[in-house]
Amino acid sequence: MNPTEIPLKSPGSVTDLSIGEVEQVERALIDASTRVPVLMFYASAIVWLLLGTVLAGFTSFKLHSPDLLSNVSFLTWGRIRPAHLNVMLYGWGSNVGMGTAIWLMARLCRTTLRHPLLLVTGGGFWNFGVLLGVCGILAGDSTGYHWLEFPSYVAVTLFLAYSLIASWAVLMFRFRRGDPIYITQWYLLAAFLWFPWMYLAAQTMLFIVPVQGVLQAAVNWWYANNLLFLWFGSLALGTAYYMIPKVIGRPVYSYHLAAIGFWTYAFFASWTGMQRLVDGPFPAWMITVSIAAMILCIIPVATVGLNHHMTMRGYFPLMRYSPTLRFTVFGAMSYTAFSVLGVIISLRSFARYLQFSEVSVAYSHLGLYAFFSMIMFGAMYYIVPRLVGREWRFASLIKIHFWASVYGIGLMTLMLLAGGMVQGLNMDNPTLSFTESTQSVLPYLRGRSISGILMTVAHFVFAYHFLLMLLGLGRTASVPTFLNPVNPEPGEMVAH
Amino acid sequence: MNGSDSTPRHRQGMDYGESEDVQKVHAAIQREKQEPRVGLEPLSLWLIGIYALAVFFGGAYLGRFSGSFSGDSLDPGTVPTKSHGPGPGGGGQQPQQELSPAERGKKVFMANCAVCHQASGLGSQSQGYPPLAGSEITNGGSRRAAMVVMKGLQGPITVKGQKFGSAVMQPWESLGDQKVADVLTYERQEWGNHGGPVTKEQIAALRKELASHPGSFVEADLQAVPADANLSGGEEGASPPKPGEQAKPGAPPQGSPPPATPGAQPPKP
Repeated sequence: MNPTEIPLKSPGSVTDLSIGEVEQVERALIDASTRVPVLMFYASAIVWLLLGTVLAGFTSFKLHSPDLLSNVSFLTWGRIRPAHLNVMLYGWGSNVGMGTAIWLMARLCRTTLRHPLLLVTGGGFWNFGVLLGVCGILAGDSTGYHWLEFPSYVAVTLFLAYSLIASWAVLMFRFRRGDPIYITQWYLLAAFLWFPWMYLAAQTMLFIVPVQGVLQAAVNWWYANNLLFLWFGSLALGTAYYMIPKVIGRPVYSYHLAAIGFWTYAFFASWTGMQRLVDGPFPAWMITVSIAAMILCIIPVATVGLNHHMTMRGYFPLMRYSPTLRFTVFGAMSYTAFSVLGVIISLRSFARYLQFSEVSVAYSHLGLYAFFSMIMFGAMYYIVPRLVGREWRFASLIKIHFWASVYGIGLMTLMLLAGGMVQGLNMDNPTLSFTESTQSVLPYLRGRSISGILMTVAHFVFAYHFLLMLLGLGRTASVPTFLNPVNPEPGEMVAH
Repeated sequence: MNGSDSTPRHRQGMDYGESEDVQKVHAAIQREKQEPRVGLEPLSLWLIGIYALAVFFGGAYLGRFSGSFSGDSLDPGTVPTKSHGPGPGGGGQQPQQELSPAERGKKVFMANCAVCHQASGLGSQSQGYPPLAGSEITNGGSRRAAMVVMKGLQGPITVKGQKFGSAVMQPWESLGDQKVADVLTYERQEWGNHGGPVTKEQIAALRKELASHPGSFVEADLQAVPADANLSGGEEGASPPKPGEQAKPGAPPQGSPPPATPGAQPPKP
């Protein structure tokens, strides 16, 4: 598509309308009110992202070079892996997700964020909780429950901090003005209500009043899977539902599809989790119900995917220019890939071979990185310029970030999927010893480490770019930073 | 995060202060498209087709692998067709039946021993796991076999004329008397082996005897015990040695008891 075909809007056509002017002022006020807390969430998210990336590097390298740093107790594999997972989940993912959600909520509810400093306090406590938890894990105080490794004394801090943050989002929804509730608000509000439900249920049933025996595994996997689906998934889908139509300036394809997608997701996703325990010591129906729910999750996935696709149709060439759109659309496409892979590996006939292999790791990264994190990167490329009053400084850095992330996660998924299949088949092969089946994965694990280096580059480049923005060193142009040069006609501005 | 607070506010187009001239908003907001709206396109037919397929396969899967929604059926394979025969109780009834010692031993074996010695009992020549099928230790008197299972074995050993020694067998006394007795009974009667059964009481007696033995046995320890020595302590050892048992309940049948291991057995009765 010719760049000139990008939908352009002359400033005159908007400013002539007094309504448009009022809206602009209103947006500026709302953005200004969210500025400090959202930037705080973003900045701390990026710090955690860097730390998590370094921990991930150790985790990955130790798998094929086990002697690396093995004489330092707090850097042993059994501690840095849970530290990596929890830093990414609660440090990076939740911070960036909550920051984006607060900004979107304020915008869509058309209400300024009142008492932003209280929200900053909540965010501060959240980060303090994560810090305490990570130190606890590294000190050997992990609980040993997947994705809940933070020592239980941290859970209280996290929960209280979360309640403070979430109540701000919910209160904004309460004081919303005017318009019908937009799709993004459904997802965000639901996510803000689902997370405390899951977290409280898991904490109660695992630590406060522990359920007996194998049921702990059931609770644990229900929590882990739905943290991915209902918390991170909802935040990312809500963000994508805002960013895609916003950037291309076109309505979302269909309200009906959005409604079906949301409600079927809400209904089916919460049944999943047990599919990770195929052939475990549970009544068969418990596991089968989760697998069936995974199959039924094809409904929301196909619906949301189609809705985004039809919204984008004819506008895909814009991905050449807009960083936000490029990251968001990549994330939205990964959502489909992630979900399809999820259905396949949950089927009993596949899970039998693959559930204890690296394929599960590939699946988690596809969900949390290719889907969730990429959409969040896209949102940050959109939101941060509006908060600091500057444009991103270097298009080249955005490009490096994008391609290093895409090739990184692509290579990682490929390596872990292929390696996991080899591993799964070899573990099932009675003529091979367990050692041999493990050794057969080594080349793939080395490849995974290389992909990790790519992602590390991406994250440090992004962090540097973000730091420039924070320091007010962004560009002061009236045109956003496009990935490739656009040549609009004189006097016109390209919307972004 | 508030670095830009310190920058002068009068720079062009970046005023975010809530002052009077707030209308001088940043370009990013001026050029922004309007807030997203929602279209009202209807559902397409083929999407409804996908819904139908998902519901159909989800439902079929649930029906096929739900194990009749019984809390007892851990095995998804108990399909409705099967469930009339050995069926719904297939999971529920079996545990009620009394298993024979060899059947119980088979379970113990599969869970603990088959990793090395293989389900076939043939072991693995290449990795240094000696066979149990046809092995003289397994088939001979129960005493040698029980010693190996209780305390483990390390160092070179010759079984069926082949040298083994690269692998180490760990002690299994922590399984408990019943399980050790069951697994020995199973091993001595499976794969064409012809040893006699071993009882829980015999293992309990052996456990007391070996209590002071520090580590694993080596081949020399085994050779100090006659190949056909049976365990004592139970009401009955293997089938042949009845006469000896009558004479001296605590002793192995043939000849005198050669207590090769510290803490000999005769003092006990």
